[in-house]
Amino acid sequence: MSEITRDMLMAYADGQLDPATRQAVDEHLATDGEAAAEVAVMQRQSDAIRALYGPAGAEVVPGRLDPRRIAAGMSRNRARRFVWATAAAVLLGLGLAGGWFLRPVLEQRPASAVLIADAINAHSVYVAENRHAVEVGGADSEHLSTWLSNRLQTNLGMPNLEAEGFTLVGGRLLPGEPELGGRAAQLMYEDAGKERVTIYVTAALPDKEPTYQFSRYEGTDAFYWANSRITCTVVGTLPDERMKAVSQMIYAQLTEGEPEQTPYRGS
Amino acid sequence: MSDFLDQVEACVPALRRYARALTRNVDLADDLVQDCLERAISRPGLFRPTGPVRAWLFTILLNLYRNSLRSSRRRTWMLDSAAPDELSTPAPQLGHLALAEMGRAIDALPSEQKEALLLIALEGLPYQEAADILKIPLGTLMSRLGRARATLRSVTGTPAEPRLRTVK
Repeated sequence: MSEITRDMLMAYADGQLDPATRQAVDEHLATDGEAAAEVAVMQRQSDAIRALYGPAGAEVVPGRLDPRRIAAGMSRNRARRFVWATAAAVLLGLGLAGGWFLRPVLEQRPASAVLIADAINAHSVYVAENRHAVEVGGADSEHLSTWLSNRLQTNLGMPNLEAEGFTLVGGRLLPGEPELGGRAAQLMYEDAGKERVTIYVTAALPDKEPTYQFSRYEGTDAFYWANSRITCTVVGTLPDERMKAVSQMIYAQLTEGEPEQTPYRGS
Repeated sequence: MSDFLDQVEACVPALRRYARALTRNVDLADDLVQDCLERAISRPGLFRPTGPVRAWLFTILLNLYRNSLRSSRRRTWMLDSAAPDELSTPAPQLGHLALAEMGRAIDALPSEQKEALLLIALEGLPYQEAADILKIPLGTLMSRLGRARATLRSVTGTPAEPRLRTVK
């Protein structure tokens, strides 16, 4: 090795040389103190950079950066988009053929399934947010209640879940299915362990029929019910018992003063 | 597919570390990584690399970082959020002051030099892979690294160098 360049010294300090070249540089450094000092400075710089930022790579990765969770969220959206795209194509085809009367084909999915899917979707989108989890904070729950009640054109109080350890983070207004009122509200609660539960509320369905339903989608539980005033879906990933307790508490509070709607008490 | 996700998952700690060093802000960095992962995962199979995904992910992350810099020049919100120095606990042997000074010096580097230096010194990537990520020739990478190191040296001073001065 006839000549040792500055680039070579840097590559040596960065551990990028092949063994033969590395050995040549080693031998050179043994006789050239200035070059050795140069290399030492560069290595100290790298050490400092790793000391500064290296630990960030060893931290526990938050759930929102879990590739599987992101992929699951996407395939859900993609499936929805696909359904709608297909539906649009079918509708167009039928329309052109004068088959407009076949429209009910598109409405096979019951309203509850649509609302539950929307609620789970909204849940998975917003529980992952830190700074922008809600639109209006829970500190001003009266304002939140008035605002959402006005927008949904129904009376919506904020359930108090302190007994289960959950406090209100806040809420937001969401676009809903056009044929089901067009608007929805999401309330978010959080416990001391940062576990989050959301409540997805819309105005009552046209049929105003009381009903309830429990579903699970990829580890996320949803408890849905409807009455003459609202539909409500509680979404969370809590253990079964706790999920049940929270759901019942919300149900009890949101149906208070409506004795005619009691699927639980059965009168 | 799951093989792809495994590979992506394996890169997440490195992406977080690199983003943290670029932005010096925990939330901003994780937002960038989340964006990066979403973009990568939403890319249909045909548009994914056939080989290792690391370089590809770093390229996406860097593009997003540069875009966020560009828009933060128009809006000033990033000044607020970038201000607090949310560094992880530094290793004890190098002294907090010296490290903080180093952090500021790196921050002050032109961003093309900072991007290159962190890929090498922090992530330990091979020169060629780093050059590919930055889409520059190897020689350009070397000269950016050289300039970055010279600047750091003049800013943080040349600490005592006798240890390695061999007596022979």
